[in-house]
Amino acid sequence: MSATFTDAQLAAFLDGSLEDEGLIDAIEAAINADPALAERAEALAAGDDLAPLVRDAFAPLLDAPVPERLTAALAPQPAEVIDLAAVRAAQPSALPTPANDTGRSAWRWPQFGAMAASLVLGLMIGGPLLKGGGSADAPQGGELVLASADLDAMLNAAPSGQRTDLAALGEGEVVLTFRNADGQLCRQFLLEKSGATSDALACATGGGSWQVEAFGRRPAPAGEMKLAGGDAAPAVVAAVDAMIDSDPLVGTDEMAELGKK
Amino acid sequence: MNRPMNPDETTRQALIALIPRLRRFARVLTAGSIADADDVVQASLEKAMVNLDQWQPGTRLDAWVFRIARNHWVDDRRRAHNAKGHDDIGEMLDLAGDDGVAVTEASADARMVRAAVDSLPPEQRDVVALVMLEELSYREAADMLGLPIGTVMSRLSRAKAALAKRLTAEGTLQ
Repeated sequence: MSATFTDAQLAAFLDGSLEDEGLIDAIEAAINADPALAERAEALAAGDDLAPLVRDAFAPLLDAPVPERLTAALAPQPAEVIDLAAVRAAQPSALPTPANDTGRSAWRWPQFGAMAASLVLGLMIGGPLLKGGGSADAPQGGELVLASADLDAMLNAAPSGQRTDLAALGEGEVVLTFRNADGQLCRQFLLEKSGATSDALACATGGGSWQVEAFGRRPAPAGEMKLAGGDAAPAVVAAVDAMIDSDPLVGTDEMAELGKK
Repeated sequence: MNRPMNPDETTRQALIALIPRLRRFARVLTAGSIADADDVVQASLEKAMVNLDQWQPGTRLDAWVFRIARNHWVDDRRRAHNAKGHDDIGEMLDLAGDDGVAVTEASADARMVRAAVDSLPPEQRDVVALVMLEELSYREAADMLGLPIGTVMSRLSRAKAALAKRLTAEGTLQ
């Protein structure tokens, strides 16, 4: 029962001057069922007097100053990426050690200046994670090296996807293993403690230790939105994107590559 | 391999530039006060930042963010907390108006137009916001709303009829 409609009927349908509700429904159904009719209707779409009135009525919003809270929502996240240069420039011996699990708010950023980046690493997981240049066995150059034996062990041996108990650090899981352009083996992993999740990317150094390339606290899920799979901290995702130079290593390949990291 | 780290500054600037349009879009969806609309905008921008890796460069950033905003609004509405705030766009203008009578008349008309749009059912405000204000094609609006194109057309048709009827009665539309 394919009804045919005149151009006049379609035009009236589009501009809102059709008063017959039954006919409106019939045209809607016919257009939904017939791509050719849809195209005909699209071609008939024309401007009308209403649209400019409506645009004018809401135009003030386009010219209004934008409230600060809206631009603030787009502000870059501070210190989500470890700035190795800044850390190198800092005096590691001045690094305060959190006495206990005080959490981030207990520290005021400005007073630590360039050390903030390394500091946040420790704070995010609630304890010192790194050994800096202050200790006797620190590597030259002040790279950020993981100082947790449990974490080291996980990165050295655990396959992707396996939950690992990291004692005081909470739980860890390697998410992704790959080689970068320099041939270094790199592993993205997450740490979970007290409901907070952080993500990090570390690459194996020649000396057999793991150097942190990026680190970020996962944003608390906004509202009730279910985040899709790739919800790791953006800084870490970006670092992985920038560095990955092989297919992700999985299964026996991953184990074999870990053996010769 | 020299890609900028989070957040990509170009994308961030593009998002900042979208804010005024996003406020207008949210204002039409919420049919309430500017503060209500800004709540939606703020939540949408936060979600966009968190999920920026899910946006495909090369596709339209505005469409992606508008979709986030609308989804947020739909979810928010389901939570049904909404006491509608009053239309306060006009108050924004009071600060700027210096041309006495003309400004007053124009803003009175604008207020009636906004009241007419606000009185439409939500599914009609969707298409008014996208097709009349954002000037998307019917097809683009259908894609964004996940509706067949004929349904978008009929919703806008009914919205136009309702607006024309109300505004003609008020003398705003001759």
